[in-house]
Amino acid sequence: MPGFSGGGVGGGVGVPASAPPRPFRPSRYVPVSAATTFLVGSTTLFFCFTCPWLSEYLSSVIPIYIAVIFLFTLANFCMATFMDPGVFPRAEEDEDKEDDFRAPLYKTVDIKGIQVRMKWCSTCRFYRPPRCSHCSVCDNCVEDFDHHCPWVNNCIGRRNYRHFFLFLLSLTTHIVNVFGFGLVYVLHHRQQLDTPHAAVTMAVMCVAGLFFVPVAGLTGFHIVLVARGRTTNEQVTGKFRGGVNPFTNGCMRNICHVLCSSQAPRYMGRWRSSHAMDVQPPFLRPHLTEAQLEAKVLDNGIQNDRHSTRSKSSLDQMESQSADAEPPPPPKPELRYPGLPRADTEESSLLTEAPTTPSMYKYRPPYNSPGRNHTALTHPSKMIRGESLDSPSPSILQSSRQPSYRSEPSSLDGTTVVGGGVGARRGGVERGEGPGGPGGTAGVMPGGMSGYSLTGRSYTSYPSSLVLSTGGSRSSSLRSAHPAHNPLATLQSEGTTDTSYKSLANQTPRNGSLSYDSLLTPSESPEFESAAHELSPQKPRAPFHSATITGQPEVVSPSSPLQGYTSPFLSAQIAQQREGQLLQGSATFSSPHRAYLRAVSPPPPSSSGHPEIQYLLQHNQDSSSRAPRNLSSSSTSPGARSLEPPVSPPPRGLSLGKSQSYVGEAGPQHKPRAGGGIVLGGGGAGGGQQAPQRTTHLHIHLSSVLTPNPPPLPFPPLSHGCPIRSTSRPVLANHTPSKPGGGVKKVTGVGGTTYEISV
Amino acid sequence: MATEFHNLQELRQSASLVTKVFVQRDYSEGTICRFQNKFPSELDNRIERTLLEETVKTLNSYYVEAEKIGGQSYLEGCLACATAYIVFLCLETRYEKVLKKISGYIQEQNEKIYAPRGLLLTDPVERGMRVLEISVFEDRGSGSSSPSSSMSSTGGSAR
Repeated sequence: MPGFSGGGVGGGVGVPASAPPRPFRPSRYVPVSAATTFLVGSTTLFFCFTCPWLSEYLSSVIPIYIAVIFLFTLANFCMATFMDPGVFPRAEEDEDKEDDFRAPLYKTVDIKGIQVRMKWCSTCRFYRPPRCSHCSVCDNCVEDFDHHCPWVNNCIGRRNYRHFFLFLLSLTTHIVNVFGFGLVYVLHHRQQLDTPHAAVTMAVMCVAGLFFVPVAGLTGFHIVLVARGRTTNEQVTGKFRGGVNPFTNGCMRNICHVLCSSQAPRYMGRWRSSHAMDVQPPFLRPHLTEAQLEAKVLDNGIQNDRHSTRSKSSLDQMESQSADAEPPPPPKPELRYPGLPRADTEESSLLTEAPTTPSMYKYRPPYNSPGRNHTALTHPSKMIRGESLDSPSPSILQSSRQPSYRSEPSSLDGTTVVGGGVGARRGGVERGEGPGGPGGTAGVMPGGMSGYSLTGRSYTSYPSSLVLSTGGSRSSSLRSAHPAHNPLATLQSEGTTDTSYKSLANQTPRNGSLSYDSLLTPSESPEFESAAHELSPQKPRAPFHSATITGQPEVVSPSSPLQGYTSPFLSAQIAQQREGQLLQGSATFSSPHRAYLRAVSPPPPSSSGHPEIQYLLQHNQDSSSRAPRNLSSSSTSPGARSLEPPVSPPPRGLSLGKSQSYVGEAGPQHKPRAGGGIVLGGGGAGGGQQAPQRTTHLHIHLSSVLTPNPPPLPFPPLSHGCPIRSTSRPVLANHTPSKPGGGVKKVTGVGGTTYEISV
Repeated sequence: MATEFHNLQELRQSASLVTKVFVQRDYSEGTICRFQNKFPSELDNRIERTLLEETVKTLNSYYVEAEKIGGQSYLEGCLACATAYIVFLCLETRYEKVLKKISGYIQEQNEKIYAPRGLLLTDPVERGMRVLEISVFEDRGSGSSSPSSSMSSTGGSAR
């Protein structure tokens, strides 16, 4: 019987995931039976009673012609009745897992520029493709659903619309034929109307005439639909009334599509190819080349489009390097600051898969199936991936693997993503510092430079020992007065360093520097501004370089103390960030700037530093690794707060120690004062532009550096790092003419952090 | 029913189905069969981007060929009409022919590229051409696949 797609026969055998067996409803078969009866019966009678005379009187072609038309009608009728209209099989549970309990009822898709809504079908468990509709009679979703025809007891869909349309055409023709030739017969037998032949012919004519009006009307209606490229469903529901139909390709193409396209395949009851697929481990994994790793490191997925594209292209080419070369990263603390839109969007975009329609957001009925477990599988896996991205090196690799996550770690810990984007800037700054470094101080600068780089690195989750070692190597390279690119090269070789530097550079907000400068040292403000400007565009600029480089020996040397500053800076940064968030919750320069300002105004107590630092550090993911270091360092040198006494540039290690101690002191005091070198390091690590967290890190870093310094003294922070200050003095003299006292050069980093490089 | 259709994942001793990634249809050109060439992020560390994109591109070209309205399809229609569609019992339509090609192509891709990486492509026609299903397998030792996945794959295979 008609309605194969899950009719009374039951949906058991060979119809999996389809309509369940439905009760046998005889009423459904009344129209189709009637139609069949009328069609076949009438035509048979016509052939028996009218056609013999027609073939005799007129020609024998006529009955043949009528027979052909009738056969054509019947064939199309049978095809329309028995053919699967294009029923979609029910979606499996695994497919449903992607749709959360809060998945929207509608999904919007863009078809040739026109928004079309796809509704969620709760029966079939998928979003109905465009033009698909669920037939309540057949209890199936049908592709290109036209209507459910009771006369054929079947849905008219993509596969059988052509047959239905041809049936209508041929039926109309057949009716016209029967009526016409019957009329001829009757007119010729006017005087013999009482004969059975005439009577039957007249009866057939009546039936034909009776059915002609609706059938012809329906035929004409469907001719218009075909020409317009619409379905009955769309026409009746008025979907494109006054609008544009995205499914039309022009009248001729529409007609061709209906009549001449190849028979669409059926989805139900297909022979499944039983190919045994051997899926056995070990599984190949895509490898990352060295270049791709570096690209990832340098790639700031958030802001630096150039780098991001580069990394993506490199991702495409990645083949060789194993992605598991790095040790597992430390767990990433969950830092979701409300004021950080980027981080939120990153995660939300990662977790949300179905686009929502704002106007029609509705719950979809949850599907209680074991398939739901997949949600748990996928989402936690995503989270895990995101978390794993925190570690510097593995995060880099993983960020390359999952570009969508790339910005996340960077935003949170200021390492991965920042590294990418900042890399360029960092390189620039480093370059600037390079010549300054060697030029500035013979011995100190290299240390300073390395220290600087170390500072940047310190913001990454590198252990202090690692930073120290790298710093040492860096300084040695610098001492040899390598060209500017060398430090950059060394920086690049250590991904996190680049990132941290990038964050540093990014964290130079113009506003922040301005405000801070105006508050503390008006004379210094232009300096800072210039530095800020130079840093904020994230491009290496000569003035900035000069400004920073002047204190290069100091800048560099402070790097080691900067390293020690990391934790307190970060803690201060966090505090300031939170302040900023309270203020306006934006992760842009404004908030750090504001926090920066606020931190500047009150003289921060240094005594409260340690517990505060500890607290902040614990809450700062970046500083998590540095916290113990900083605490220890702070404990070591209690009196290192003041930057005033110039400290001869100690060996890198010493400077680091001192810086650490200094940082410990400075940390609790959330003064936005930036110790020059420290500031630089902090700024670099901040990467404010790219990630709010980074900015805050830098910001805190800087502020914490500044706190120990009395407000009137812009350079006191530098005194924290004795070596820094002493080294930076000459630099300051060169680049920061407005600096009084200890010749602390101020550089405004991204995010409002101001660096003070004591000269 | 579950006992009749043991899917391959169940029989696997060392690989088990972890999740399924779905490549959705691309409806930007209308209802013609096209799959999105967007690389799913879940497969970032499982397969190279280019390989999957190449597969999807090839599949899309196959579907374009299947749905092409040209001489062959027109003649097919005329022949079918002339023979009252009895010819459909004997001959394969153009679409079906291309679907067979697609099935062979997917089989080959699975053997060469996806199975070694612990992935498995499912012919979209089995899902109503709505999605391209990529099953992701993981080496779980001797663990068998979860009941849900076996149920789903059973349901799928039972079609």
